[in-house]
Amino acid sequence: MLLWFLALPLPALASVDKTLGVSPALLSKYSAPKSGSWKCLDGSKEIPWDFVNDDSCDCPDGSDEPGTSACPNSTFYCQNAGHIGATIPSSRVNDGLCEPECCDGSDERPGVCRNACKEIGEEYRKKRDAERKIQKTGAKIRSSYIAFAHKEKKRLEALVESSAAEIAVREKEVARLRVIAERTESLSAAALEHKQQSRERPLYTSLMSHASALKALQREHKKHLEREQQLGDILDTLRKGYNPNYQDMAVLEAVRGWEYLAGLPHIGVEEDAQKAADLSVSDEEAGIAETGDEKKDDEVAETDEEEWTAEDLKTGLDELLNTDYVSLLMAHDEHVKTPPPSTLFNLRGYLPDSLVPQYEEMRETLLSWLGVFGIAGTDVEKSSDSSKARTALSDAESALNKVISDKKNAEEDLGEIFDVQGFGAEGEWKKLDGQCLQLDSGDYIYEVCLFDEARQKPGPGKGGQTFSLGKFSSWNPSPDVKPGEPAYYEKQVYDRGTRCWNGPERSVILVLKCGTENAIHTVAELEKCEYQFTGTSPALCLPLDAKDSVREEL
Amino acid sequence: MQPWATLVGVITLLLAAPDVLAVKSHDFKTCSQAGFCRRGRALSARAAEAGTKWKSPYSVDSSSISISSNNAVFTASVKSSIYPEIHFGLELRVHEDGVVRVRMDEVNGLRKRYDEAASWALIAEPKISQDITWTTGKKDIRAKYGNNEVVVAFEPLTVSLLRGGKPQVVLNGRGLLHMEHFRSKKVEETKTEEAAPQAEEGVEDQVAADQIVLKTEEINPAAWFVGDKEDDWWEERFSTWTDSKPKGPESLSIDISFPSHGTIYGIPQHATKLALPTTAGDSPFFTDPYRLYNADVFEYLASSPMSLYGSIPILHAHSTDSTVGIFHAVGSETWIDVSHASEKSTETHWISESGILDLFLMPGPTPADIFAQYSALTGTPVLPPHWSLGYHQCRWNYVSTDDVRTVQRRFDEEDMPVDVFWLDIEYADEHKYFMWDDKNFPDPVEMTNDVAANARKMVVIVDPHLKRTSNYPAYQEASDRKLLVMPASGEGEFEGWCWSGSSSWIDFFNPNAWDWWKSLFKTTALKSGWSWTLSTTDIHIWNDMNEPSVFNGPEISMPRDNVHHGGWEHRDIHNINGMLFSNLTSKAVQERTDPPQRPFVLTRSFFAGSQRFGAMWTGDNLGTWEHMAVGISMVLSNGIAGMSFAGSDVGGFFGNPEPDMLVRWYQVGIFNPFFRAHAHIDTKRREPFLLEQPYKGIIKDILRLRYTMLPIWYTAFRETSVTGVPVLRPHYVMFPKDPKGFALDDQYFIGNSGLLVKPITSKGTIETTVYLPEDEVYYDYFSHHVYRGAAKGKDITVKAELDQVPVFVRGGSIVPTRERPRRSSPLMKLDPFTLRVSLSKAGSARGDLYLDDGVTYSHEKGQFVWREFTAQTAKKTVRITTRDLGVEKKAEAVDGVALASYNPSNVFAETIKEVRVEKIVVEGLSGKPSSVKTEGGEELVWEFAAGVAANGKGEGVASVLTIKDPRVLIVKDWAVIIQL
Repeated sequence: MLLWFLALPLPALASVDKTLGVSPALLSKYSAPKSGSWKCLDGSKEIPWDFVNDDSCDCPDGSDEPGTSACPNSTFYCQNAGHIGATIPSSRVNDGLCEPECCDGSDERPGVCRNACKEIGEEYRKKRDAERKIQKTGAKIRSSYIAFAHKEKKRLEALVESSAAEIAVREKEVARLRVIAERTESLSAAALEHKQQSRERPLYTSLMSHASALKALQREHKKHLEREQQLGDILDTLRKGYNPNYQDMAVLEAVRGWEYLAGLPHIGVEEDAQKAADLSVSDEEAGIAETGDEKKDDEVAETDEEEWTAEDLKTGLDELLNTDYVSLLMAHDEHVKTPPPSTLFNLRGYLPDSLVPQYEEMRETLLSWLGVFGIAGTDVEKSSDSSKARTALSDAESALNKVISDKKNAEEDLGEIFDVQGFGAEGEWKKLDGQCLQLDSGDYIYEVCLFDEARQKPGPGKGGQTFSLGKFSSWNPSPDVKPGEPAYYEKQVYDRGTRCWNGPERSVILVLKCGTENAIHTVAELEKCEYQFTGTSPALCLPLDAKDSVREEL
Repeated sequence: MQPWATLVGVITLLLAAPDVLAVKSHDFKTCSQAGFCRRGRALSARAAEAGTKWKSPYSVDSSSISISSNNAVFTASVKSSIYPEIHFGLELRVHEDGVVRVRMDEVNGLRKRYDEAASWALIAEPKISQDITWTTGKKDIRAKYGNNEVVVAFEPLTVSLLRGGKPQVVLNGRGLLHMEHFRSKKVEETKTEEAAPQAEEGVEDQVAADQIVLKTEEINPAAWFVGDKEDDWWEERFSTWTDSKPKGPESLSIDISFPSHGTIYGIPQHATKLALPTTAGDSPFFTDPYRLYNADVFEYLASSPMSLYGSIPILHAHSTDSTVGIFHAVGSETWIDVSHASEKSTETHWISESGILDLFLMPGPTPADIFAQYSALTGTPVLPPHWSLGYHQCRWNYVSTDDVRTVQRRFDEEDMPVDVFWLDIEYADEHKYFMWDDKNFPDPVEMTNDVAANARKMVVIVDPHLKRTSNYPAYQEASDRKLLVMPASGEGEFEGWCWSGSSSWIDFFNPNAWDWWKSLFKTTALKSGWSWTLSTTDIHIWNDMNEPSVFNGPEISMPRDNVHHGGWEHRDIHNINGMLFSNLTSKAVQERTDPPQRPFVLTRSFFAGSQRFGAMWTGDNLGTWEHMAVGISMVLSNGIAGMSFAGSDVGGFFGNPEPDMLVRWYQVGIFNPFFRAHAHIDTKRREPFLLEQPYKGIIKDILRLRYTMLPIWYTAFRETSVTGVPVLRPHYVMFPKDPKGFALDDQYFIGNSGLLVKPITSKGTIETTVYLPEDEVYYDYFSHHVYRGAAKGKDITVKAELDQVPVFVRGGSIVPTRERPRRSSPLMKLDPFTLRVSLSKAGSARGDLYLDDGVTYSHEKGQFVWREFTAQTAKKTVRITTRDLGVEKKAEAVDGVALASYNPSNVFAETIKEVRVEKIVVEGLSGKPSSVKTEGGEELVWEFAAGVAANGKGEGVASVLTIKDPRVLIVKDWAVIIQL
C-alpha cells in the first residue's frame, strides 16, 4: 500500500541519523570528524559532516547519503534486527513502499512501515529449514550418484584393461591371417586378370548399371514421397490453423490451392471451422487417398501398356531389385548349354568387381552342392582359397577394431565422469546419463533425456509428430559462470533440434535446482521454438557445509 | 509450437529474405483500382486538359438564398447544369471563433447521403457567431468579420475565405466539385441512351455498355464533365471480392486550394514527411493520392501515400504570413491529391466515396489559432493518467503469469524503471478476449496484484472481433442483443476471419451496444450479464485491429456493403468505426470505478475526435532505420492533427534490431509522448535487461532520463489538454515565420518547456546537425555547452555518439525535473524537484509545472498544483521566483472546466506540501555570484563553475551555479536572490 499521507514535516528529515543505511563494514567511516569536515568514501571531495544523510547528494560516489534516496546508484543497508541484514538500492528508499527485504521498515520514513522482522524472520527460517531438509535428502541421493560414478569408473577401468589385453591377442591374430591372405592372393591374381577380359562382360556390366540406377531411382522416389507427405502435413497445419492469412493473400492462396489439389472443402466455408477441421481430419485423409487414386488412373491411361503402374512400382520394384543376378547368370549359362565345368569358374570374369565377393560366396555354396552331387570337381576349393583367407582376415580386423573402439569409448567415458564440463567434478551426474524426465502439458508431452535429447511428443490421445527439441550441447554457457561453479550445473542447453519449418531449430534451456526428485516442473516457449524447462535434480543438492550447519544451530 | 505460431510463420517464411520484407501492395487498392477515385482523377484530368475553357457546372440559384434571423447561417439551392433535374442544398455558417462550416447535400434525392460523420467527430454543436452580416450581390454573397471575409460566388459556385482581402482557402476554384447524385440503374440508362430504344431485360447491361461506348461521345451532353462511361457505378471488383454497391455512384469530389500557402501538413496517417510531398502536378513525389481508408497494412512502407490504421481529414496550410486549416467531416474512403501551381500555393483535390460535403474552414491565422479552432470542434487531447507517461513494456507475448512476474523481477534487479507490463492476444483462450488461457494464466488477478504492488499497471488487449462460439459470453450476449454488424443483406451477423477464427464485430453505431460494452469491463459480478471479474482496476486496455482488420475481407477489412445500425453501409462510416470502439472502451474503463478514474486505452485505428479518449501508436512498424525515422514524422503529424498522445513501437515490431539500433530507438522512444517497446512473436526477446554492456547501461540511463523528465511531459500534456497545441511541436508551430523550419521533421520541441530534441535515426552516427531557429542561446542538456543561434537561423554541428542524444534547452527556460531514480512513476510522487534555470541572452527565464494526483478527475474540482517559475536579471541581481498559476489562471487550468475558484491548499496540494526543491541549477550567469540567498533568508550552499555567459559572445561550456537544497517548497511562493 502507498502511504503518501504519512510524510513527516521537513525538519524531521534533517534529523536523520548519520549512520542510517550504513552497512556494518563501513560503520567506522561514519563517525563525526573532529574537523567537522568529512571525506567522500572515494576521496574525491570533502564536505561538511552536516551534509551526510541530509537528503541532498554531494559526493560523486553517493557515499554521503547512505540513508536517503538523494544519490542515485548507491545502496542502503537495513539492519533487520531479529532477522538478516539486507542491502537495497537507494532508489527504494523513501519511495512509499515497504521493501520486503527491509523487514525493520528502516527504508521508509519512521512510521510508514512496521517492523515485521519477527514474522518475516520466522517465515524465512521455516522456509530455509524446509529447503535445508530437501537439500539434505537430496545430498544423500547425490552421494549415491557419486558412489555410482566411482563404481562406474572402476568398471570402465577394468574394461579398458581387459580390452588392452584382448587387443594384443587380436593384433597377433590379424597379423597371422594377413600373411596367409597375401600369399594365397598372389597365386590367383593372374588367372583373375585373364577372366576379366572376357568378351561377354559388357552385357553384365550394363545389367548391373540398370540395377543400380533403378535402386537410386527407388531411393529418390521414396524421398519425394516422404517430402510430399511432409508438405501435405505442413499445409494441413496451415489450413487447420487458418486465421486465413494474417493479412496475407499469398497464404490464403496457398490454403485454397492445397484444398483444390487435395480435394478438400474450403475450410472458411464451414460455420465453425475449427470443429469442422477436427471432424474432417479423417475425411481429409480419405480425400487425399482418393485424389491420389484418381491421379494414378490418369497416369495409367496415359502410359504405355508395357510400363509399370504406380501399384506395380510399389510392390514389384523391391522384388525386381532383389533379383539374384548371379543366379540368373548361372541359369543363363546353364541354358546356353556350354557347360565345360570351367565355365562356372569363368563366370567371375563377367562380373563387375563390386559383385565379385558376393559371387564368390554364392559360388562356394553352389559348388559345394555341385561337388556333393558329383557335378563339379573338388579342385574348385583351391581356387577359393584366396577369398577365404581374405574373409578370415577382415573378420579378424573388424573384431580387433571393435575392441579398440570399446576401449576408446571406455576411456572417453572415464575422462567425462569426473570432468567439470562433463558429469561434474564428483561425477554426480553420471548416474543420470540418459535418464528421461517427462512433463505432460495436455497437448504435448515434453521429455528430456539428460545428456542426450529433448523431445516434444503428442499428448495422450492426441495425434501428431514427435519433434526433437535439441541434443545436449553444454552446461550453462553464460560467460559469467565458470565451469565447476554450482551455477554452472543449473542450466543445460539442448540445441539443433528439428527445425521449425518456418523458424529456427528448436532448442531447450533446462533450468535445474536442488530437489529430491529428478523432474521437470514447467515448460514455456518464451520465444518461438525456444523452450525453457525448469526442474529439479538431487545432483544439485550440495551437502550442507559446516558453516551452514553452525548458522542453523543459531 | 502453437497454431498461431505456425500461421504467422508462414508469413515469415514468405518474407524471409530481407528484400521481400515489405507490404503486400496488391492487397490494397491504388487510386486506379477504386472506381470513384479513378472517376475523380479522370475529372481532374479532363479539367486540366480543357484549361481555361473548363467551367464548373455547379452554380448557386441566387433566388433561393435564405439568411437566418441571426444572420450567421445562409442556405441556398445549388444546381448542376448537366443534371438540371437534380437539386443540391448549400449551407454556410460562421462560428463564434471565425470558423466557416460549408455543407452541401443532395436535396430530395432518391436516397440520403450519409451526414452523421460530424456528429461522431464534434464535441458539441459549434456556437454560431452573433455578429455576421451577409451581403448579397449580383454575383456573390459575402460576409466580412474581423480581418476575414467569406465569399460565395454564384456561377460557377466557389467558396472563398479571405484574410485582409487575400484568398486563403478556395473551394471549387478549379471546378472539380462533383457530387454524384443518387440514381436508379434503369433511369440512368434511359438518360444516356436517349435516342436508343429501351433495351430488353436480360441483355440490357451488355447493350447498354455497347451503346455507351458507341454513342455517348456524340449524345451525352454531360460527358465533358462526368466522362463517357459508367465506370464501376453499380458493382466493383477487387481481387476476389465484389462490392455490390446497391446505392450506385455517390462519390464526392472537391478541390480545395490555398493560393497563398506553399506548405501543407496533416491528413494522417501516412508514412511520409511532415510537410506533405506532392502527388499530382509536374513530377509528383508520389504517384497515387494520399489515401484515408483505415487499413491493417502488413509491413507497411516507410515512405508511401498508402492509407494506414487511422484517418484524420484535417489539413494545415502554412506560409510565413499565415496558417489556415480545413477539416472535412467525412467517414468514407477519401483520396487527396496534392500539388503546387507555384512555390507559394497549394492545390488539393479530395475524392470521397460517399457522404455529404461538410467542410470546416479554419482561418488561423497562426498555428496556435488553428489548434484552438480545431479543438473547439473535436476536442483537445485527453490529460492521461500520469503513470501512462512512464515506460511501457510489451511483447507478443509474455506467455504466462510467471513470465510477467519474471520480467518484472528482472527490471527490478537491474533497477530499470518501468510502469506498465502488457499482454498481447495470447493471454486469451482461443483469442476470446477477456477469457484467460487458464493453463498459462491461472492466476491473472494475483499476477496483476503483484505488478500493482510495485505501483505498476497492466495493459491487456481486447480486440473488436468476437469469436463466434456460444461459450464466449461477449459474443453470445452481443448476438442475443443483436448488436453485431450485419452482412450486405442487412440481416443476421456478418462473419469474417481474424485472430479468433470465425468472428463477428460489434456495431458501435448502435447505441444499445454502448452500456452493454461498458458492463463487460466491470470487475465485479453483475446480475445483468457477464462481466470481467477476473480483472482488477489496475488493468487497462489496448484496442488493436479496429480498422477493422478482417483477414479474409477486401483490403483486409470489412466488405463495404456490410450494414450498420440505421441502415448505413460500412463504406459510409469505415473511417469512424475504429474510433467508436476505442472511445467506448475508454468510457468503459473510466466507469469501472465510482468515482471514475482516468482510463488508459491504446488504439490503433482513430479518427478526428479520438484524441479525447486515449493514445495511439503507429502500428506494426519494421525494425529498420527508415521506420525509426519516419516514426518521428508520423508522431509529429498525428500530433498536429490532435493525436498528441502518440508513439511508435520502440525496437520495431518486426525484426531483430541490433543493439545499437535498439539504443537509438529507445532514444527516439523517450521523446515520444507514448513510450512503449513492443516486439513480434517471431523476434528474439529484447527487453533492455537482456542486452550486453555497454548497451544495457546506456538504455538504463535513457529510461531514467525519461523518468526524470516526467514533470515536463505531464506539464506539457496539461497545456495540450486545454489549448490543443500539440505536445511535440514541430518548428513551423514554434516559429511559424521561419521558412527554414517548415520542412523540419526530425527535430522538435517538447511542449512549452524549451527542450529541443533531435533523436538520431541512422547507423554509426557520431555527430549531427541541429537547426537553431532564432537569435538565442541553446544549452546542451547534458554538457551545458552553449550554442548561439542567429536571427536567420543557424545549423550547428554537435556530437551524437551512441550514448548521446542531442537535447537542448532554449535560453529563457526553467525546466523542472525529478532526478531520483525509482522503479515506477507513482513512487516519485513525494520526490523533490530540481529546477534548471537556463538564462536567455536577456538574462531571464520561465517555466511551469503542473501536478495532480494523476489518476482521478479531482483536478477538475481544483485539486492540483500549477506553478510558474521565473528568473529575471536586473542590474547585478538575478531573482528566481515562483507564483501560483492555479490562482492566477484558474479559468484556463483544466480542460473543459472554467474554475471559479482555486484553493492553493487543496486536498492534493496538501499531500505534497512537504515536497521541496532539492537543487537549483542556473546556467549562463555572467559571473560568479557574491551571494545566493532565499528572500529574507540566510546564505545558501552553492558551487559555481565558471564558463560562458548567456549574454556574452562566445560558445563553450556555460557557467553553472548549483544551489544545494534551497529548502523551498514546490507548493509555496518563494524567491532566491543571486547577487552577482
